[in-house]
Amino acid sequence: MPAPDVPALVLRSLTKSFGARAVDGLDLAIPPGEFYALLGPNGAGKTTTLRLVAGLLPADAGEIRIFGIDARRSPIDAKRIVAWLPDEPMLYDKLDPLEYLEFVSGLWSVEGRRAKRLAEELLESLGLWPHRRERCEGFSRGMRQKLALAGALIHEPRLLMLDEPLTGLDAAAARQVKDILTDRARAGATVIMTTHILEVAERLADRIGIIAHGRMIAEGTLDELRSSVGGGGATLETVFLDLTSKARRAA
Amino acid sequence: MIGRIGRAAAFPRFVAHDLRLSSRGLASMFGSLSPRGLGVLIALLFLALHAAAWPIAGWLDSVEDGPNGPARIATIVAGGVALVIPWIVGQSLVEFTRTLFGRSDLELILSSPADVHALLAARALSIALGAVASVGLLLAPLADVAALRGQLHWLALYPALLAAGLAGTGLAVVLAMALFLAAGPRRARLLSQIAATAVGASAALGAQVIAMLPENMRASVLAALAPAANDAGPGRSLLMTPVRAAAGDPRAILLWTAFGAAVFVLACVLFGERFARAAIVSSGAPANAGSSAKTTSRFGASVGAALRAKERRVVWRDPWLMSQLLLQAAYTTPLAVILWRGGGPTGTVGVAFTPALVVIAAQLAGALSWIALSAEDAPDFLATAPVSRRAIERAKIAAIGQPIALILALPLAALAFASPWAGCCALLFGAGAVASAALVNLWRQAPSRRGLVLRRHSQSKLVGMMEHLVSILWAVAVAIAVIGSWTTIVPLAAVAGVLALNSKWAAVGKAGP
Repeated sequence: MPAPDVPALVLRSLTKSFGARAVDGLDLAIPPGEFYALLGPNGAGKTTTLRLVAGLLPADAGEIRIFGIDARRSPIDAKRIVAWLPDEPMLYDKLDPLEYLEFVSGLWSVEGRRAKRLAEELLESLGLWPHRRERCEGFSRGMRQKLALAGALIHEPRLLMLDEPLTGLDAAAARQVKDILTDRARAGATVIMTTHILEVAERLADRIGIIAHGRMIAEGTLDELRSSVGGGGATLETVFLDLTSKARRAA
Repeated sequence: MIGRIGRAAAFPRFVAHDLRLSSRGLASMFGSLSPRGLGVLIALLFLALHAAAWPIAGWLDSVEDGPNGPARIATIVAGGVALVIPWIVGQSLVEFTRTLFGRSDLELILSSPADVHALLAARALSIALGAVASVGLLLAPLADVAALRGQLHWLALYPALLAAGLAGTGLAVVLAMALFLAAGPRRARLLSQIAATAVGASAALGAQVIAMLPENMRASVLAALAPAANDAGPGRSLLMTPVRAAAGDPRAILLWTAFGAAVFVLACVLFGERFARAAIVSSGAPANAGSSAKTTSRFGASVGAALRAKERRVVWRDPWLMSQLLLQAAYTTPLAVILWRGGGPTGTVGVAFTPALVVIAAQLAGALSWIALSAEDAPDFLATAPVSRRAIERAKIAAIGQPIALILALPLAALAFASPWAGCCALLFGAGAVASAALVNLWRQAPSRRGLVLRRHSQSKLVGMMEHLVSILWAVAVAIAVIGSWTTIVPLAAVAGVLALNSKWAAVGKAGP
């Protein structure tokens, strides 16, 4: 069991290339229980960074530590405490929500009674309980996204990473997802989220990181970011555009 | 008048559009091969197919020049026509259903003021040409080579095949639209796919059914079919027109071509508007989502059990996939009946049917292991689970055993009843063939979509060749074992060699850049 003051995620000089550098010596440290928003223009390396942390891509160089676990050396141990929710929900059309959650809880070896209770709670809170015996093939985009979120939460991850979790959701579904994520962060889980909806990052995140060309160009609370561009009352959108255009010119 | 001109202009435009898409689809199958390289490959394939057709044309020559030659040729042609026409209808039905439900560019085209009859005609023509090409690839070289050897009448295969393509596609359009209108958009897709499989295989299944009939009934059925099939002169039956056309009768060629064109045009004219409406409805129709039975909760299952349960559910709940698998079972059922009727070990029964069972087991294992390994719906999700890749693959391969065992249980039991030794060999060698086919797919995984299972070998030809090679080697090995010869170790050693090579190549491929 890692010590309570161990950072939830530490990245040191993380590098990944697909011909060109997608992640270029990225350094990042996120304390436990923080809601962190990772922002950046298209192709900045946000998703690649999170996929590296989730163990979906091998890093070329650098260090990934999740609650003190070296994720490159002990990927299975790291995966036990991590959940990854991509922008495109990964579901099985021929399974129903309960069966999907049974499957996911089995993979993470969640104890049976606990898994059943958590599944019921999650389906209830996400409004999917009436559909628990319907196969996913008939689900709307919002229902699929919510079920994928339930799958990510059923093993109670200590680090939850979400890539554009609100894309394609209607207002009600987006509110449900935001409430659940906020509750998880309050309960002590660490949440890292990428989003292009800057108002969401502004409202939910404790700290915000902005990356461009695979490198961190600014990081801090919203106030810290505002002061870094010299505008006290600037919106996150103004700050973001200012910083990313500087990075583009410098590149 | 303006509408007619618009229609006339739209048809070639749609045909050109479809041809461009088809040619790019074909080129993409060969990856990074340049157009010149592709041209050379096609020329080599053309030559190879013609070289392969040479001995068959020689054999046809000898049959034709032998005793009762024309009648025997007519029987061969009739058999060919009985296989080709259902195949074309089945292929066209599959492609037309795919067009109807595939969305692709239909929403864009149908939102334009383009003529829907021209659109349907162009799409149907593209489908007909595809179906004709799938058969023509084998028949055209045969016709060319036979003509080179002086039997010019074999060139009649060209117009006969084109007419069969038009008639078959016209029929497929009518059938698909009838299913759509009768069953509605939610069920029509599945029904069409099942119907296509059944129609495509109807000749082979029909032959199996005839084989199952009692001796006297079978003789009378064959006698009823024989005079018509052997009627090489000006036939009396209109039903024999395609056979006479393929055999080179000029009047039959004209009649058959006119019939094919008429069916095609009629289908396009009658169903143009309905096709457009159906395409719009199908694109907005929700998937035919079923509900699960209220099964006992299985929360708390082990990693392996969870993976196996998932694979089982995903396979059993895919009606189209199951229809394909059950069709394989349908092929094996008549075999089982024949074996039961045989009533005991006859020696030849085992040699005749054990290899067939082993090949079917290998083919099923190939398809199912490809689905489980390469067509995983959520590969990234599984990769984030705290389970090793090896454990996931082991559970997936364990899961495919159940449907194969269920499908082959009946014919295997029948074989064991007819010949216990053959049954024992089928069980052992079948298990080996299943394991080999699964290993080939395990070592050479290529992410794809489940719906492409029947076309999986067009994506990875090497895996297809390996799968066929090991299943043939296992079939040869089991046939030799049933006879009781120790030389069965020769094909078994060859299987081991093929698998070792495959494993080595796969490892080199993974280690490569």
